[in-house]
Amino acid sequence: MNDGEYVIQARDLVKTYTVGKRRVEALRGIDVSLAPGEFAVLLGPSGAGKTTTLNLVGCLDLPTSGDLTVAGHPISGNGARPTEAALDLLRRQHIGFIFADFNLLLTLTAMENVQVPLIWRDATAPGRARQLLERVGLAHRLTHRPDELSGGEMQRVAVARALINQPDLLLADEPTANLDTRTRDEILELLAELSTEGVAVLLATHDHELADRADTVLRIEDGVIADD
Amino acid sequence: MTLMRLALRSLLLRPARTVLTIISVAASVAVLFSLLAFNTGYQKGLRNQLQQMGVHLMVVPIGCPYEAASLVLKGGEIEGYLDERIVDDIARLEGVAIAAPSLMHAIVRPEDGRTDIYLGIDQRQLDLKNWWRLGDGSKPSPDLLASDDALLLGYDAALIEKREAVGEKIWVPEIDSEFTVTGILEPTGTQDDGFFYLPLATAQRKFNLPAQITAVQVRLSDPSQAAEVGDRLEQLFANAEVIRMEELLGSMTALMDSARALILAIVAVVIAISAVGVLNTMLMSVFERTREIGVLRATGASRLHIFSLVWTETLALTAVGGIGGIALAAVASRGVEAVIRQFVPLAPRESMTEFDPQAAVICVLAVLCVGLAAGVYPALRAASIRTIEALRSE
Repeated sequence: MNDGEYVIQARDLVKTYTVGKRRVEALRGIDVSLAPGEFAVLLGPSGAGKTTTLNLVGCLDLPTSGDLTVAGHPISGNGARPTEAALDLLRRQHIGFIFADFNLLLTLTAMENVQVPLIWRDATAPGRARQLLERVGLAHRLTHRPDELSGGEMQRVAVARALINQPDLLLADEPTANLDTRTRDEILELLAELSTEGVAVLLATHDHELADRADTVLRIEDGVIADD
Repeated sequence: MTLMRLALRSLLLRPARTVLTIISVAASVAVLFSLLAFNTGYQKGLRNQLQQMGVHLMVVPIGCPYEAASLVLKGGEIEGYLDERIVDDIARLEGVAIAAPSLMHAIVRPEDGRTDIYLGIDQRQLDLKNWWRLGDGSKPSPDLLASDDALLLGYDAALIEKREAVGEKIWVPEIDSEFTVTGILEPTGTQDDGFFYLPLATAQRKFNLPAQITAVQVRLSDPSQAAEVGDRLEQLFANAEVIRMEELLGSMTALMDSARALILAIVAVVIAISAVGVLNTMLMSVFERTREIGVLRATGASRLHIFSLVWTETLALTAVGGIGGIALAAVASRGVEAVIRQFVPLAPRESMTEFDPQAAVICVLAVLCVGLAAGVYPALRAASIRTIEALRSE
């Protein structure tokens, strides 16, 4: 990625699904731009198109139409036809994911969970994994398995896992949905801190309170970004 | 963290299911390995035993020759006898080095749970069994069978009778006779160890079988002439059956080969069933871990990575099962042999289940191949899961 480039540049993104004989328009032409170090919140009710947006900018799915560039790599529009392997590589090198229900592997310790994304790069970095866990306040929980951790601790491990490949973009889908208010604030603080270090953060939520912490708020409804 | 480590940890997610699958693989490998080991050990033991006998031909009363040979070797009692004059006739034939008669008689002692085999022999049997040794290392001399009440004990027979010293008396109530131990043979590793040897004439008199014998064991000057001399013996003695020991070995091993083919077919079915078990385990695991697979894809795993992960899990499962099966077979081999021994004709005295490293490697490789084949479909299923659908699944 070159200096000054947006991490995400999406214009007129459309995503339609066919469910049985029915055609569903999940996204109806949205524009999203995210600069390095920007903390944006994608705010909207359930079914508004938040997760679909994250799937597209996270290279888990391809848009039906529209232009999309992620971390300098054209994904859609202008004749771009990335292969699946190229999308895998893009996720591996540039994108970190955080989910509402943490999605840690139950048989692995915190240290091992954090290092999972490195497997796909044939790399090991126990030192960096330890550093990240220390950074998220889990120095005392390195060898604990998910069933020995609280919800907040599990989400911290998930954040450390998302950061292990030093991504340019962090995508968080309702990351505080299963946390109490205090833990929610701690996680938000952590994400805000990461954005100040240059990581672009796009957080999808239906919780209006979270919007106050963001640099940018994108309100989405019925597959369209609403004007403020 | 490596793919292998992740695969091994994934198997721990459902430990009971993993262990049960490993046990099913181990059981089928154990059966396969035991069968191969038994086949090798049995043939080797049988050949050694026949060679140790130093006998190339055996002349027995007419009937089933293999049953007769088996009875003679195992110490059973044969229905029907030969006239002892046949021995000199056989000895005069060209190519015959030694013709040694024997009269076998079994005394059953159900109250002690044992059957004692008494074998009437003479000097010629000592010449034939020229590897027999006494405790002091010397060859047993004809003097040991010189007196009427002489009794030469095989090594195991002496143990059974709890006799250690020459000169001790043994009372045999069934024939109202007392014998004097003239010598105790060193172990030979053959059925000979279990016999009580007495002079042939004494045996004929005590067992009321005058001038009768049960077998003539023949050593040839040239073992390659066994077929030719055997044919001549059959022409000369119509009431006798001639057993060629090499043929006997061939027939026994052919019988074993037939049985082995049948058992191998059964083992193949068992292995196929365990392969289906592995496939089922892995497929269930893939279905249960759909969301996890989605998360792994989100962290950058390719379809090939997911395929490799599931395939590695299958490989680990079958490898552990395979090695466990070999260990199980090695540990249980004595017990299995004890059971098999009861059903196998002409079971050699030495161990029939020999640990064969080559067979162990073949078994493990075979089960790995089966496991890998069984793992292909679950691995393909896992690799074909769409990431966004996987992440949506519960």
